[in-house]
Amino acid sequence: MSLMPSDTSTTAVPDAILVQHARSGRREAMEELALRCRQPAYRLALQLLGDPDDAFDVAQDSLLRFFGALQRFDTERPIKPFLLAIVRNRARDLMRRRRLRRHDSLDAAAEAGRPDPVDPAADPAAEAMDRELKRRVWRALGALSSAQREILVLRDYQDLSYEEIAQVLGVPLGTVMSRLHRARKALKAQIEAQGHA
Amino acid sequence: MHEANNPTSSSCPARFPEELLSGHLDRELTQQEAQRVRLHLEDCGHCRSLYQELADLREAAMNTEFPVPSDEQWDELPRSTGSRFLRGAGWLLTVVWLVLVAGYTVWQWWTSPATLFERLMVFSGASGVLFLFLSILIDRLRSVGTDRYGRVLR
Repeated sequence: MSLMPSDTSTTAVPDAILVQHARSGRREAMEELALRCRQPAYRLALQLLGDPDDAFDVAQDSLLRFFGALQRFDTERPIKPFLLAIVRNRARDLMRRRRLRRHDSLDAAAEAGRPDPVDPAADPAAEAMDRELKRRVWRALGALSSAQREILVLRDYQDLSYEEIAQVLGVPLGTVMSRLHRARKALKAQIEAQGHA
Repeated sequence: MHEANNPTSSSCPARFPEELLSGHLDRELTQQEAQRVRLHLEDCGHCRSLYQELADLREAAMNTEFPVPSDEQWDELPRSTGSRFLRGAGWLLTVVWLVLVAGYTVWQWWTSPATLFERLMVFSGASGVLFLFLSILIDRLRSVGTDRYGRVLR
């Protein structure tokens, strides 16, 4: 059974329509929503927590809460900030409970990271420098405050707009740019400090 | 609109509001603000250097890949070793208890003074109810095993 009379696939169905169908209990819609949401949820959890196992637990828990809160969700608004706000809150709760040693776990996650696709035409030296810069950025991120890390992850790793970031963090839109810039400067300073260490 | 007009927050020699550099990087500025940044970058080496450094860091972050769980991992129930052991032990004890109670009950009933007809009446009725219960239980257990989003449903 298709979700819409003219559709043979759920991939073309907008999020808002999927949410409406999911609310009415249609399994196909719930399945598609879960498929769309689970990897972004996991990625954010991993970027905030650093530990793959913790990230998986937080992502699963966040999906449960996401579906539990679906009846209250305003379908006029995009899903992603709503979902990521749940993930962010769950990750914060976990960090608070466990007092995660984030720096160590970030290192572990970086080591477990999938290698970047290799372009045979690319310069190996440039590739190595590129990988090293990514590694240094990732390590430096772990040394920032959780607030700075959150806003950097939402913008530079999750590619959210300022408006979406404001929704996830629950802050006025006008404060996003200045906070983000301070976080970027802090990241740059951290990388420089690591370079001198 | 933004907290960008506070010159004291900038370390630019010309006291340019540096946060506009981030806004420009992210294409979040108005046309006028973007033009202001472009003009400033032409004149200010400090901000030009900072802008390039921030752009490089942003590029590195945006191109970083992360491992993601496979579909099979998502389909697995997150159970710890402890919970798996306790669940298995719980089922085993429950089944043993049910067998003992059922055996004792049947034995008590069979040795009680009743006619064959009475025994057959009770036995067929109880068996019917038991079979119906087992058929529902089997279906439920099968659906638990194959329902990927059972945990997601309210």
